[in-house]
Amino acid sequence: MFRESVISLLIALFFLFFGEMFLNALHISRYSLVLTGGIVLFLLALKMIFHSSGPAEADQTKQEPFIVPIATPMISGAGLMTVIMVNAAAEHNNIKIFFAILIAWIGVTGVLVTSPYIQKLIGRNGMAALEQIMGMILGLISMNMIVDALRLFVQTQ
Amino acid sequence: MDLFSLTIILFLIMDPIGNISSFLKLLHELPQRQRNKIILREMTIALIAMIIFNFIGEAIFNVLKISEITLRLTSGVILFLVGIKILFPAIDSPRANLSLEEGEPFVTPLAIPLVAGPSLLGIIMLFSHLETNYFIVPAAIVIAWTLSLMILLSGKHLQRILTDNGLKAAERLMGMVLILIAIQTTFDGLHHFILSCR
Repeated sequence: MFRESVISLLIALFFLFFGEMFLNALHISRYSLVLTGGIVLFLLALKMIFHSSGPAEADQTKQEPFIVPIATPMISGAGLMTVIMVNAAAEHNNIKIFFAILIAWIGVTGVLVTSPYIQKLIGRNGMAALEQIMGMILGLISMNMIVDALRLFVQTQ
Repeated sequence: MDLFSLTIILFLIMDPIGNISSFLKLLHELPQRQRNKIILREMTIALIAMIIFNFIGEAIFNVLKISEITLRLTSGVILFLVGIKILFPAIDSPRANLSLEEGEPFVTPLAIPLVAGPSLLGIIMLFSHLETNYFIVPAAIVIAWTLSLMILLSGKHLQRILTDNGLKAAERLMGMVLILIAIQTTFDGLHHFILSCR
């Protein structure tokens, strides 16, 4: 569990420092970055809310997970990368974002490491309910990102 | 679009990293030497198909008088769907339904549709018409093709180093980039559309 979250931290930091260079090379403007994040997060949220045991779970291999699916896309998913890149483009102070990533990462790792106890505390049904609520919130956030992106696009016209 | 972005786009649609597993699955019985020969042959067939469609695209869209806006919007939508497919793989994709036939594969399914699929050929047709410079699209095709060929030839080693999960992660990242490019292309198209309305 700990190894996976370290890998996800590395991925997040990589995107913080090289994301902008990459975007400039491909001529990608900010609104499409935000829009991509919004759409991908929205699809993810739909998956969380209408949770069904589809093929996505069926093809997960039985062996010990490595990088996929825990480090990425579960922790350092597409949405996180987009958020980091957007903020790195908006803020000039990279140190600030670096510490933000670090603090959030410590929180996530703490939750993951203590997850067996949490699950015992709120029960299996509670976890399922919590996931759907999280999906709802994620859906709201992603829709907000999409709207923001569209506004940015209209403003550039 | 410049040569660099074109090359990246074509490379991402060819999806060599995602194709490694299907290539190895189909060719795992053959000795190393023969496997490399088959990969080279299939890739050459794919290259020929791409170049042919490059010239067909230029001819067809001139006759049909399709505007630049339409071309941009169409290629954006196609790229978006390809990216979504890579991010959220479907069960009925040609890659999932590899039929393990006897003997060595020829043209299908390796060259077409796994490497040069309908979406890649369509995008090449659109781009070849969109670019005013005649040499930029063929150049991008050749560069992207060379990169894919090298990745596929070293597929066995890559699979050992990255493991199957690592390959899957790399493929997902590429799908993400593809969606990014797709949305940029679509909104470029919308931008031109809005400008033309004024």
